[in-house]
Amino acid sequence: MPSVSNTPLVTNEVAVSVRNLGLTYTTAIDRRPTLKARLKSLGGKQTRTIRALDDVNLDIEYGQVLGVIGTNGAGKSSLMRVIAGILPPSQGRVEVYGSVSTLLALGVGFNPAMSGRDNVLLGGLAAGMSRDEIEQHFDEIADFSELGEAIDSPMRSYSSGMYARLAFSVAATVRPDILIVDEALSTGDAKFKEKSLNRIKELRSEDRALILVSHAMRTLRETCNDIAWLHKGKLVQRGEPNTVIDAYQEFLHLGKSAVVDEDL
Amino acid sequence: MSAPLQVYEPFRAGLPPLGRYWKSLWARRTFISQYSKSELREQHFDSVFGQLWLVLNPLLLSAVYFLLIVIIGGSSDSTRYGHLTASLFLFYLVSNSLTGGVKSVTAGQRLILNTAFPRIMLPISATIIALFKFLPTLLVFLVMRTIIGLPFGWEMLWAIPVFFITMLFALGVAITISCVNVYFRDITSFLPYLTRTLLYLSPILYEASSLSPKLRALEIFNPLFPILDSWSKAVVHSQVPETSSMLQGLAWALGIFLVGTYFFLSREREFAVRL
Repeated sequence: MPSVSNTPLVTNEVAVSVRNLGLTYTTAIDRRPTLKARLKSLGGKQTRTIRALDDVNLDIEYGQVLGVIGTNGAGKSSLMRVIAGILPPSQGRVEVYGSVSTLLALGVGFNPAMSGRDNVLLGGLAAGMSRDEIEQHFDEIADFSELGEAIDSPMRSYSSGMYARLAFSVAATVRPDILIVDEALSTGDAKFKEKSLNRIKELRSEDRALILVSHAMRTLRETCNDIAWLHKGKLVQRGEPNTVIDAYQEFLHLGKSAVVDEDL
Repeated sequence: MSAPLQVYEPFRAGLPPLGRYWKSLWARRTFISQYSKSELREQHFDSVFGQLWLVLNPLLLSAVYFLLIVIIGGSSDSTRYGHLTASLFLFYLVSNSLTGGVKSVTAGQRLILNTAFPRIMLPISATIIALFKFLPTLLVFLVMRTIIGLPFGWEMLWAIPVFFITMLFALGVAITISCVNVYFRDITSFLPYLTRTLLYLSPILYEASSLSPKLRALEIFNPLFPILDSWSKAVVHSQVPETSSMLQGLAWALGIFLVGTYFFLSREREFAVRL
């Protein structure tokens, strides 16, 4: 394992250990799985197998802030979902020491007809928190999201930015041992982006592991002390942020242009 | 650090460890009650008119069917009306559980893709919602049966085991149909036909005792038949239901619940990639 750890924060206490992880799944070619489609395709093979992750080995220690980068479809979100226990692995083994906040991008708001408040409560309860725990944090969540009165209106009336703000607020307020933020950093307006970035920096501590999935290279350079680069389901490189990000940008043939470095 | 260790490994076909599953489900029981509450509120069933509608809807329906019976079958008595109403109310418990359950998993897509939790909570919530819609109608029936002068008696207590059998059955069908819907999304379109057929094949518009023995032999294929028959015997006629009917209903309910739960639990880990 390439060892990283430049900051004194790292405690060498393992938070997540991923061993030879493979993830494959078959999806129907049809957009919607229906009985009609199944009957029509009797005999013919109408599915294809997707290899989302291939022999990934990754250790994340407490105190680390790991940035995960890669092109679209590299397997970043799949990896996060396996760590969060949402997708079972096809091969290998994942060990997670501690509580994981599984609020990935747009995790809250599963029922758009209900208010933001109900959705936060239900999302938290489903994740296994107690009602008291959530209510204790609720004011902080509402404050941080800056939604004001909108928190009590149905989520279908929210803009995508408001969705993302609420999602991030929940994830950042709950303070789990392991926090996964999947692409939720680069949403919202400039002011909220700044605010969430500051919150991430605040959350860095030696008894917490942070995993940030993002395409915002500048943000990752600023906040992470470790970067993992995934490509087509494989771990390409792992190590010091600037080195890995430079290599990744080199790979994209884009060089260090402002466009790539900017939070896209 | 005394952090809990979670290990994720490839799963074999079959059931997840049931002890751990149950513990994790039990820890989230507040989700089920909160979800039902929010859902009912969202459908406005917490307001006076919402509740009134809940009662009025089946009451009007039973009035319509009663009219139909009177016109087609000639005269009718109050017992007949009592039977019709009581059976219809219980039928709606099952039918609401079915229609609420069918989309419970697919509608929870966002939650399933982003949170690890026992997926069976979703169809269970659908059944609980159906139960909350059923309770006020039960009250209405009690008032009604007093007004039309149906006999009271301790035999009515037999309604309690029949009710639990019905709940088990309602839960079983909700779990089964929600799982089926993940693989065959068009099952939702068949559902109205299924419930309508069940309605006519069950002893609701007629009494089980009025059927010819030849037809009654076919009743073993309809799970609702023995359940509704026992229900009507207890709450309308204040009689002890036939033991064979109760056992038959229990066997159906238990069978569907166990088979459905087995399918659901052995499949639920791949729901996240199927949605």
